[in-house]
Amino acid sequence: MSTSSVSKGCFVFKPSAKKKKKTTLTLEDHFMRGCEDAENSEIRFRLCHDLWDKIKTDTEALQDELNRNILDSLLDFTRKCSSTRRHSDWASQMRASEIPTAALVLGVNVPDHDMTFQSLSDLLQQSVTPHVASVQAKECGALKHLMKRVLERLMDTVVDDEEEEEAEQTRAQLNTSVHCSLSTLCAWYNTNTKKSDTGTPGKKRSSAVRDDPLQPPVVIIFKDLEAFNPKVLQDFILICSRYIERLPLMFIFGIATSPSTIQHMLPHSVTSLLCIELFQSLSCTQHLATVIDKLILAPQFPFKLNGKVLQVLISIFLYHDFSVRNFIKGIQLALLEHFHSQPLSVLCCKKKAALLNVMQLGHQDLERVRQLQSFKRYAEKQEAQEQVHLLTDDPHLKEVCQKLIKDLRKYHKNYYPTLRCLHTLTSSLPRYPLGKQIRELHLICLEKNIWENEDYQSAMKLLKMLAKDQLIALLQRCEETLQSVKSKKMKSARVQLGDTLARFKQLDTGAAESPPSVEDSITSPVKNLQKKTDLFQLQKTLLEMNESRRSKKLSPFEVLRNEALQFIDGLVKSHLSPPESQTLNEVCYYTSSATVRRHLNATPRTSIQAALNSPIYYLQNERLKTEDGVISNAAPDICIVYKLHLECGRLINLYDWLEAYATVVSAAEGNEPDSDDFGKVDDVKHARFIRAVSELEFLGFIKSTKQKTDHVARLSWGGC
Amino acid sequence: MSKRKITKTNVPVGECISQVQEMLRERLCHQRLPDRPEGVEAQHKHLLELLKRTAVHGESNSVLIVGPRGAGKTMLLRCVLRDLLEEKEAQKSLLQVHLNGLLQTDDRIALKEITRQLHLENVVEDKVFGSFAENLCFLLEALKKGDRSSSRPVLFVLDEFDLFAHHKNQTLLYNLLDISQSAQAPIAVVGITCRLDVLELLEKRVKSRFSHRQIHLLSNPTFTEYLDRVRTQLSLPDDFPDDKFALDWNASIETLCEDKSVEDVLQRHFNSSKDFRSMHMLLMLCLSRVSVAKPAIKPADLLEASRLCLADANANMLHGLSILELCLIIAMKHLNDVYEGDPFNLQMVHNEFKKFLQRKSNSMYNFEQPVILKAFEHLQQLELIRPVDSSSAKTQREYQLMRLMLDHSQIMEALQKYPQCPTDVKQWAMSAFG
Amino acid sequence: MSALLHHPGYEEERLRRLSEQLPCRELQAGMLLSLMGQPHQYSYPSVFIYGHRSSGKSHVMQVLLKELELPHATVSCVECVSVALLFEQVLLSFFGGDAASLLPRSPSLSDFVRVYRQQCSQSPAKQTRYIVMEKAELLRDADANLLPALLRLQELVEDNVTVILLTEIVWDRFRPNTGCFEPLLLHFPDYSKGELQQILSRDKHPSYSAEFYSSYINILLGVFYSVCRDLRELRHLAALNFSKFCEPLAEGKVKETDTHKLWRNMEPHLKKAMQTVYLREVSSLQWEQMQQMEEKENGAMRGLSAHTHVELPYYSKFLLIAAYLASYNPARTDKRFFLKHHGKIKKTNFLKKNEKTSNHLLGPKPFPLDRLLAIFYSVVDSRVAPTASIFSQISSLVTLQLLTKVSHDDQLDSPKYKCAVSMDFIRAISRTVNFEIVNYLYDFL
Repeated sequence: MSTSSVSKGCFVFKPSAKKKKKTTLTLEDHFMRGCEDAENSEIRFRLCHDLWDKIKTDTEALQDELNRNILDSLLDFTRKCSSTRRHSDWASQMRASEIPTAALVLGVNVPDHDMTFQSLSDLLQQSVTPHVASVQAKECGALKHLMKRVLERLMDTVVDDEEEEEAEQTRAQLNTSVHCSLSTLCAWYNTNTKKSDTGTPGKKRSSAVRDDPLQPPVVIIFKDLEAFNPKVLQDFILICSRYIERLPLMFIFGIATSPSTIQHMLPHSVTSLLCIELFQSLSCTQHLATVIDKLILAPQFPFKLNGKVLQVLISIFLYHDFSVRNFIKGIQLALLEHFHSQPLSVLCCKKKAALLNVMQLGHQDLERVRQLQSFKRYAEKQEAQEQVHLLTDDPHLKEVCQKLIKDLRKYHKNYYPTLRCLHTLTSSLPRYPLGKQIRELHLICLEKNIWENEDYQSAMKLLKMLAKDQLIALLQRCEETLQSVKSKKMKSARVQLGDTLARFKQLDTGAAESPPSVEDSITSPVKNLQKKTDLFQLQKTLLEMNESRRSKKLSPFEVLRNEALQFIDGLVKSHLSPPESQTLNEVCYYTSSATVRRHLNATPRTSIQAALNSPIYYLQNERLKTEDGVISNAAPDICIVYKLHLECGRLINLYDWLEAYATVVSAAEGNEPDSDDFGKVDDVKHARFIRAVSELEFLGFIKSTKQKTDHVARLSWGGC
Repeated sequence: MSKRKITKTNVPVGECISQVQEMLRERLCHQRLPDRPEGVEAQHKHLLELLKRTAVHGESNSVLIVGPRGAGKTMLLRCVLRDLLEEKEAQKSLLQVHLNGLLQTDDRIALKEITRQLHLENVVEDKVFGSFAENLCFLLEALKKGDRSSSRPVLFVLDEFDLFAHHKNQTLLYNLLDISQSAQAPIAVVGITCRLDVLELLEKRVKSRFSHRQIHLLSNPTFTEYLDRVRTQLSLPDDFPDDKFALDWNASIETLCEDKSVEDVLQRHFNSSKDFRSMHMLLMLCLSRVSVAKPAIKPADLLEASRLCLADANANMLHGLSILELCLIIAMKHLNDVYEGDPFNLQMVHNEFKKFLQRKSNSMYNFEQPVILKAFEHLQQLELIRPVDSSSAKTQREYQLMRLMLDHSQIMEALQKYPQCPTDVKQWAMSAFG
Repeated sequence: MSALLHHPGYEEERLRRLSEQLPCRELQAGMLLSLMGQPHQYSYPSVFIYGHRSSGKSHVMQVLLKELELPHATVSCVECVSVALLFEQVLLSFFGGDAASLLPRSPSLSDFVRVYRQQCSQSPAKQTRYIVMEKAELLRDADANLLPALLRLQELVEDNVTVILLTEIVWDRFRPNTGCFEPLLLHFPDYSKGELQQILSRDKHPSYSAEFYSSYINILLGVFYSVCRDLRELRHLAALNFSKFCEPLAEGKVKETDTHKLWRNMEPHLKKAMQTVYLREVSSLQWEQMQQMEEKENGAMRGLSAHTHVELPYYSKFLLIAAYLASYNPARTDKRFFLKHHGKIKKTNFLKKNEKTSNHLLGPKPFPLDRLLAIFYSVVDSRVAPTASIFSQISSLVTLQLLTKVSHDDQLDSPKYKCAVSMDFIRAISRTVNFEIVNYLYDFL
């Protein structure tokens, strides 16, 4: 994984393989350990695992789908280059001396790039050429190294250079070590292509040979152009251009920021050797939108995120890194946490399995169900008799649960289509009262009843003023979205929508008798709204127009329009209620946003302070239990020193500090206060104190000061 | 066509020409030794004496030949050696070791070289030596038990002597000179250098062991001598196969040297530099123009040659610049005038240029920043401008401080010569302060 | 014109072929030939050829040496990452592979000379040997005495060898301070307009007549000659715009001979290309696509240089803005800009007299990390927790070359940075987060 990106934070470097072998624990064991209610943890683990696999595969498919067209165009580019090399049409002759180069702009979300490059090089090797080498900036500090890497990756041999003599010597015996220059590469290439011509089974695939039997191009991918040392790059390109007649080279520059960096890095003398074509990948926000669309807003995944968690993930994406990959990682974390912490997550799975699992539930689990907030609310709604049943009779409860689970599924079935409908209607309104992106709408809905939201009201008002054609178009799109849905309610909704549309149609067939004056008096200004600069103001004025016209009788179109909107409103009210209102929603919805935030968006400073303030938080040791403010004298030295220093002013007298420390520690050693050597400073205590202080200094809480020799200055404010 | 016919008809001319070319080229390019050293007879005698004493009577010695580049130091030495080796026993006994400061860049390499030149590789094989001195002594010992009981004299020639002084604590020099002081083996150390202050480079202990003999070759001939030298360099010897041609040739050289314009040209060169090399270059250029078509050096050739030699390279380069780059240079010049030659960066230059465009430019075209940047880069690449500090990696190119490597007159001259330079640009350049 | 290339050493036939391959360089070629003399004759020990890029220096050398079959070694100094490679190539092309293998690992100059000598004592030169060094300016970066040694190589190896240095830089910048053997200087002047015309007309389009193409070149030069004399660049431009030029022909509107019409059709495109001369924007293909686009969307120039917009995360934008402010405002003015109610501190209060030029001319100043963060927290509207990702964003902005780290990497406490983006860039960024940056810049007060 590349450690340079807008989204890098702390990195986990996996221990080496053999070290892992020592630990016999499997994932599952890790999962089970310390997760409450062990008996159904296997099931939960399996569920979690399967679900994650599904998500993973889906997202990867999605990624490929998204990258498809740009990758294809790249492949075409390479093919074209390798073919024009042989054809001798005028244009390509004019460019014969230039190295074909693809500038691939990928955006600043660097961690997502690896995947792209991987698939790119794979595709290239399958369909165009076996000779592909990709290099990263951090492994080529000097020209020599870059050359070495490229040669190694193309020829997979050890390349010899003057440095690290003995290492080279030893390896030289093992296999053929060649000199580090492009001429050797040339020679190798010629022999290699010869071989492929005569058809000896080389390491290259048949497809490659088929594509261009004579001269498969040699592709060099520079993964992160910005990070490269310009001098190195320039020299390398200069060298390559000397061999271009003999060696069909081509480059691919991976660019994170903007194509103009090429011009910043390379002088004209170098760029004039390149024949650059530009390829722009789609922006990561679009990418995220699709991911959310397929992953979050899809009923087939039983696991859901509640508003807060989703908010956290999205804001991490938007504010800190543009990395889709990290977003998905976040979802994975939430998933794991959910199944780990919530015993009832056994029910969070496909319908049949869920119903089965309900039957498996033990008494303890059912008790948990009874404790659920949503269930309590539900129970209170029932009449007394039923309530007793629910609270006492396990089998009955199980049946009820099954029913509730089904309801929950129904709710989801209806929720998403309705959401999409509403979005299609509102997303084109001026100033986007309910947000441009569907995810914003979704967030609103997750929070509370959307119809109580005044934005919703204003949106409805605006909708009430839509011109006929616009409205019809939107409604039709809604109908299309509803096409695919299975559930009964939606089907009926679609039918209803269908005939309202029909009535609109026949309305303008019979528009003759309806007084046209009114209609175009409304529609015509609305028609030309689009051209106007400040839409909002115009809408306002129109609003007033409406108010004034309230008294007058409405034209049939208006009547119909209001009906339609009434209908939509009804749909929303019935289906877009927030999930918290649903019973047993805790089963599917992961709620603890704090955990996610803590894990994904760490705050080192605060955690250090937490550790120093209450060490028990990290080293769960009973002896450290204290009531707040009091220093447990058993705490590590640095904690004690820290606590003591909080009580001091801007300048701390080291000796007093030492004294205080000594008293605390000797209390810890349990020698009684009145004994004479209590709080006496011996060498050991002194040494420990010094160590602790220097640790604090290292952490940047204090620093030595010139003002008083035996004092140190505090760098943090406040205290206890 | 006509020329070709000529070559066909009288071949001997062609023959002679190629003979001339060969002979003179050997003189001018390959520093063929003259029969007798001109102008340095005294030094020649002195050095010959010294070396003879070593070669024949086995006395150790050390001497420095000091003189500016192209003054004929190496030639002098080689002449001396040639004359020295005419003596029987010198030829028999004397061993020579030629070292060059350019090649033997440290003492380890030098020692290897010495061993090789004394043909002692097989003797040394893979002995390990405690110190450098030990090793050197061993080598000389090995010589001792050569054919005769007494050891053979060795002549060490150190070309680019000053470079040896930069070796790590001057071990080689120390040991050689030390040996030359103590009467171990008879060696002569001859240093050749162009640095007059070379003795200052030597460490005290090394200096003290050096017999402060120096032979100075400060060649400042009078112009007549210079002229003679030219003549002798060009004229053919008597043993030239075709006497008639030789006579004609020498006569033509005579007339050439009489010519007034030629004299002026030579005078100019004489004033700029008096050494052999530059003269050789000049004559070489003349010679190269001699062909069957015109089997003699005409004054015109000399003029042409001197034009080539004295051409101002910077002006030549300026001539090839694009108008935009030229404008930038003018802007820089103005900046230099305004800020008394403080360094400038691209932004300032661009500003200056923009000012010009706003004020009075109908011909020039307003370019984007990137284009300007490219032009600026090109100028930097040609080293017409130099960054003030070398740490270029840290700062952006637009803000890197630069200095102009050209002076006022060069720019103006270039502007005059520049093909179809717009007048307003010219005026801008002329105008004081931007 | 083959008269210029007339030399007894070689038969006429070859010389004719030479002069064909060297258009507009007969003079220089003749000069070189006469300097080289007949193969067996000595030539000047070292020749220094300088001239602008693509003025045919290495081309002429190559053609001469190849056509006349003289023993030569051509070395590009860029390629020689170590001197070893250089020595190897020379020995290889003079004496064959086994000679090159005689060199020890990481050889010194004296090793090279030794090997060379013993080799050429075995096979003495019947003809002058030539060593051609391209991009010779890089020799100066190699160790100090390589260049002087090469210049007097003939003397050192006692062989009939000539070293030819090719470079764009004048000899004065080469001369070491203790001086050295002066080479023979030769200048390759840039091509005149006529010569360019002649050369460019050579690569004519097969499906059009030569006159047509040369008329096209004529128009092209008419526009570009004033700003660009680089042959390579001009050729690029020619290839770029030719299809546009013959568009009307394809549509059958105009005849080949009707140059004026063609010219009028052509001019606007050339003007557009003028804006981006020297910045190799795109290949010909994409250029045409762009032309089409411009017909539709009122001519926004969209080359490489045009895509300067960069999508950044919200906080990264603010970090960048803060960095910009920090590096273009004097530190003492921060109080004025970022204190909530700084009372009435006018510009005059902290205006230093000596500041005559604005910081936007002098460039960004380095600033410490904590100043950056302080400004960041005051410009960003919501309050932000100092999370790890904030800090990591800073370092990744560095890797994206939007910031540059001034202090050394191993200095952990209080690193120093500079902002490396242009005014326009930061304007665009701050517009997206509707932050009015100009109000916060000292220079625009």
